[in-house]
Amino acid sequence: MELFNPVIALTNLGPLLAGLWLTVQLTFVVILLSLVFALLVALGGLSRHRPLQWLVKFYVEIIRGTPLLLQLIYIYYVLPEVGIRLDAFAAGVIGLTLNYSAYISEVYRGGIQAIGRGQHDAAAALGMTPALAMRRIILPQAIRIVIPTLGNYFIGLFKDTALVSVISIQEVLFTAQILAAQNFQYFTLYTVVGIMYFAVSFPAARLVGYLERVTRAGYAGRRPR
Amino acid sequence: MSATRPMIEVEGLHKYFGDNHVLRGIDLAVNTSEVVCIIGPSGSGKSTLLRCINHLETPEHGRIRIDGQFAYRDEVEGRHRAHRARAIAAVRAQVGMVFQHFNLFPHLTVIGNLIEAPVHVLRRPAADARRRGLDLLAQVGLSDKANAYPEELSGGQQQRAAIARALAMDPKAMLFDEATSALDPELINEVLTVMRDLAAGGMTMLVVTHEMNFARQVASRVIFMDHGRIVEQDTPERIFGAPRERRTQDFLRNVLGR
Repeated sequence: MELFNPVIALTNLGPLLAGLWLTVQLTFVVILLSLVFALLVALGGLSRHRPLQWLVKFYVEIIRGTPLLLQLIYIYYVLPEVGIRLDAFAAGVIGLTLNYSAYISEVYRGGIQAIGRGQHDAAAALGMTPALAMRRIILPQAIRIVIPTLGNYFIGLFKDTALVSVISIQEVLFTAQILAAQNFQYFTLYTVVGIMYFAVSFPAARLVGYLERVTRAGYAGRRPR
Repeated sequence: MSATRPMIEVEGLHKYFGDNHVLRGIDLAVNTSEVVCIIGPSGSGKSTLLRCINHLETPEHGRIRIDGQFAYRDEVEGRHRAHRARAIAAVRAQVGMVFQHFNLFPHLTVIGNLIEAPVHVLRRPAADARRRGLDLLAQVGLSDKANAYPEELSGGQQQRAAIARALAMDPKAMLFDEATSALDPELINEVLTVMRDLAAGGMTMLVVTHEMNFARQVASRVIFMDHGRIVEQDTPERIFGAPRERRTQDFLRNVLGR
């Protein structure tokens, strides 16, 4: 028997693509949520409000000190015991968002702190409140700095979504597992899945590389001449 | 407007950086339309004084009044009570500041730099702010650079844009913190020319500078600072012609090479 069976690959392509589509959806929802949530976390960590700083530190350290897989299991299987029942997709979104936001908030923090004293001084001297200066002067520069790093995190996220199969979300990897349990075509199915992941990750990585070059080129570079 | 009305008043100002007593009791008044130049060796506290006046540094003791109003904090029964961030910002909005390293906002075009604060702090309509911004760019000779980004400008152009940005707030006074110290020698004059024009136009200016010729020609009064104190202040003729204090004499002999 040949290892790679094109007929099996084709006949199972439909369900696998459906699984990939779910993976992509999950990734995008988590990207959007964590972009916003991580920013709030970063700003909380940088605020002068001590309890808020501690809360942020506690959250970030807990998330970073435990495996994502455990966090997902905890949200889906343990929380119902205290009365919080979530459907699998919601649990996956929440788990991934909480996890990635902890890391991404640190990325934001680094970007914000990379903006020099002079920018804060200039904004303050023009009568901007700290909040306005953050919104109009510091954040636009900081976000530009961290865009390539964020891109790399999100490529990681795309691949990490495979972990939500453990809480019964039928994303692409779990779909392949189910199919393989029926027809034992492990090689074919998992090869197709690998190609699918790569087919998304590789162009995304190229895009991140492009963004890195653009952001490094300076502000004037992006202007059409 | 009376010519002798004080625009900036500083009383008994003390500032420490840790154990370092940087300002040791500064008393100073700058009248409306006066151009006061502060000279002195590095580390004498000149820049710190300027930064305290805009509350970019918080002094430990002392009072600052801008246009007659207590700025940044009140003194109630001998104890300081800091103003809220919004009130501090409102005072700063009335005082323009120009920095040694320009500090233009790199993500905004030159005209974007000029309209940012008028639109978002003073809530002026963008079209008005833009019109005023273009006038100011013409005034500092940068009409053709409105849509350039700061990184596309020379140091002298950046500093002129920064001056225009401060002027766009229609400030009551302007603070210049070594505005030409970071510039290549051949770019210094274009900035000094803009400052001269401003002085001639009646702007109240407090200028920390190493440009002795500028101080001599433009200042209504020159202050010599050393070790956190005002050592001597007088007309430029007398400071440069016949300084009374030994430390002033030594400093001028050093910088003027005579």
